[in-house]
Amino acid sequence: MEKRSARQRLREFFSIFRTEIKYIFSDSGVILIMFGAVIIYSTVYSFAYSTEVLRDVPVAVVNNDNTQESREFIRKLDATPNIDVAYAAPSLDEAKDLFLARKVYGIIVIPHDFAKDIYSGITTDVVIYADGSYLLIYKQVLNDLTNTVLYNNAQIKALRLMQKGAGMEQALAVSNPVIPGIQSTFNPYLGYGSFAMPAILILIIQQTLLIGIGMIGGTWREKNLYRKLIPEEREYLSALPILFGKTAAYFLSGAAVMLFVFGFQYKLFHFPMNGHFGDIAMFLLPYLLSVIFLGLAISSVLVRRENSIILILFTSIPLLMISGISVPREAMPEWLYELGKIIPSSNAINGFIRIQSAGATLREVFPEYMMLWILTGIYFLLAALEMRSLAHKVYVQE
Amino acid sequence: MRKILKVIYRELGLVKYSRTFIALALGLPVLAIVYFLLLFKTGVPNSLPIALVDLDDSNLSRQLIRLIDAVPSVSIAYMPKSTEEAEDMVRRGVADAIFIIPRDTEKNIYSTTPVTIPVFISGLNITKNGLIQRDLSTAIISFSTGIQVNTLMSQGLSEAEAYQAAMPVNFERHILFNPYSSYSYYLLPIFFPMMMLIFILLTTVVTFGSEFKNGTAPEWLSTAGGDIFYAFAGKALPYTVSFILLFTLADLVLFKFVGVPLNGNRTLIFISNILFVMAYQSLGVLIVSLSGNLRMSLSLGGGYSVFAFTLSGYTFPLMAMNPLLQVLSYIFPMTYYMRIFVDQAVRGAPAHDTVAQLLYFMIFIILPLPLLPRLKKMCTDAKYWGRM
Repeated sequence: MEKRSARQRLREFFSIFRTEIKYIFSDSGVILIMFGAVIIYSTVYSFAYSTEVLRDVPVAVVNNDNTQESREFIRKLDATPNIDVAYAAPSLDEAKDLFLARKVYGIIVIPHDFAKDIYSGITTDVVIYADGSYLLIYKQVLNDLTNTVLYNNAQIKALRLMQKGAGMEQALAVSNPVIPGIQSTFNPYLGYGSFAMPAILILIIQQTLLIGIGMIGGTWREKNLYRKLIPEEREYLSALPILFGKTAAYFLSGAAVMLFVFGFQYKLFHFPMNGHFGDIAMFLLPYLLSVIFLGLAISSVLVRRENSIILILFTSIPLLMISGISVPREAMPEWLYELGKIIPSSNAINGFIRIQSAGATLREVFPEYMMLWILTGIYFLLAALEMRSLAHKVYVQE
Repeated sequence: MRKILKVIYRELGLVKYSRTFIALALGLPVLAIVYFLLLFKTGVPNSLPIALVDLDDSNLSRQLIRLIDAVPSVSIAYMPKSTEEAEDMVRRGVADAIFIIPRDTEKNIYSTTPVTIPVFISGLNITKNGLIQRDLSTAIISFSTGIQVNTLMSQGLSEAEAYQAAMPVNFERHILFNPYSSYSYYLLPIFFPMMMLIFILLTTVVTFGSEFKNGTAPEWLSTAGGDIFYAFAGKALPYTVSFILLFTLADLVLFKFVGVPLNGNRTLIFISNILFVMAYQSLGVLIVSLSGNLRMSLSLGGGYSVFAFTLSGYTFPLMAMNPLLQVLSYIFPMTYYMRIFVDQAVRGAPAHDTVAQLLYFMIFIILPLPLLPRLKKMCTDAKYWGRM
């Protein structure tokens, strides 16, 4: 094996870097995925979730009592942000028809003796049929009903005590000794976009980059570039210049995409931005590197570009799941969650959300940050070994 | 008929030569079923870690702690001395909520001063947040009710009377169709069809596109005796059958093993599976005929397929989305599929609602038919071949 000078290696690096850039930007399929898809997905998804919260869910009320008290209760329900009493149904059957026709997403039944029971000091049961087939809708309806009932109860009890001669302050305290002061932090209105988009964006960046790298990898093989790019005086390309040349090209494209997504889109759609720029940049660095090395490692295995695009698109949803975002990690087997950490996105999602949404520092996301550097190392080695064997294979074949 | 059989036979022969493709075509969907089964085995998350700060350290506060500890969805993972420490735990991601029992809680309660229990729940994950919020607020309220009952009993009321007085209106919760508000019931039904549609669409693009990429299109057409419809049908059919089988397997797993409710008409579900497969195959052919280029078709098909998840409105409801997106949701067969699934499997809705949705599928299925002449022209015109 001949010895190569640093200058030769540098020349090789630049020639590969130039070739890679050229192939990225002359391939409309690659441009569409690596840049177009990121722009389109991030915009459409963000736009779809831009309302953030579901308000005014239509429900039907069956009022079997029809007293001033029950009407007042219904009015209170209607006044909540999430419930919109859209129909007064004469019977439960009719309410069910409205439900199946998707006119309403919940049914509330006021019992016959609602007012009478309250006055005679007997607990009266309001019945709610909430729609469990769409969990987000279910949560909104139930939440507001619970609060209305609680508020209503406190009022009734306080009134009773006041009728017995208690002062208002004392009456309120006795009827409601302990009050839940529940607040949500980091995403105070529990917006769906603020919750889901950071994870989706991180994943999109990874998947599109992986597909792009895979596609160009296919082009290299089909155009036999491993052979064509060998300098005159030599027998085969050396692995490290190929690896670094390609990495530099994808690093630039990936960094540009990230700048667009986390700089521009984030501002445009008002996603939470509580992290420090330095922490974010430092955190995303090993993420980008590990994704690129992973891409280069698998692109040598998946020979045909159609196989790489199928595999990577297909795994998008499972990878989003395994990060513990849509499915809480406590709801899946622990080993599966741990196994998921071999994918850069799992660590990046969990760390990035805490930095950018909760304002955590790099120190507070240390486990994820460390893992990303470890993955960078592992995938670098894998990619280097495969590049080497690819370059040698060309040499042996000759 | 003979011609179709010939094309089918030819297709089966082609498949033999691409082992990676076969591995992907059969292996991935089966793997996906296994993966989702594993992922959702636990169902409802329990023991979400919370940090509890007890600044009161009284008999009553310990009583409240015992009550919180008994809530199945959360577990008191840490008991830091200060709120700051607890906040750091949330930022480090080891605790999902901070529960604070303020100083003088016991004293205030006994002197009839209302006490507010501050609870800060991380909003980073709204699914966890929802569960924690629901269960902690229930726990605090029942603690509060308990105190009222005790006070009333000390005034001479019987326990039953005291409960009635403490709770003038109660509510009885019926969660329709998903009694445990379980994640498997809810999320599993969308994942499998979602992955299948990516797969159906791309497989179709690859198999049809490859005829042009490899320049085998004329031979394909001549196998069908020059009839493009037979060529199209014969090539698509083997995949239609295998995808339908996979779907049936997935449904079996969903209904028999996971226990997703099946309250409606299973025939309608089966029909919707068939039409769903055919609709996405047709869309694949449509994309290939329009672009005439495998590389571009793959990117287009991939791009289109992934949108179906969000725009089916299953996780984030369509009614909360911008009207523009509500309209856009109609161009994805997935939207209709999820409606049919919810109506027929979960809700047991009347059949006529579903029949209308099935008709929408038909529109997607006939969509590529007007383009068949163009596809035929592509088969005979060499300028479409060999493009990647």
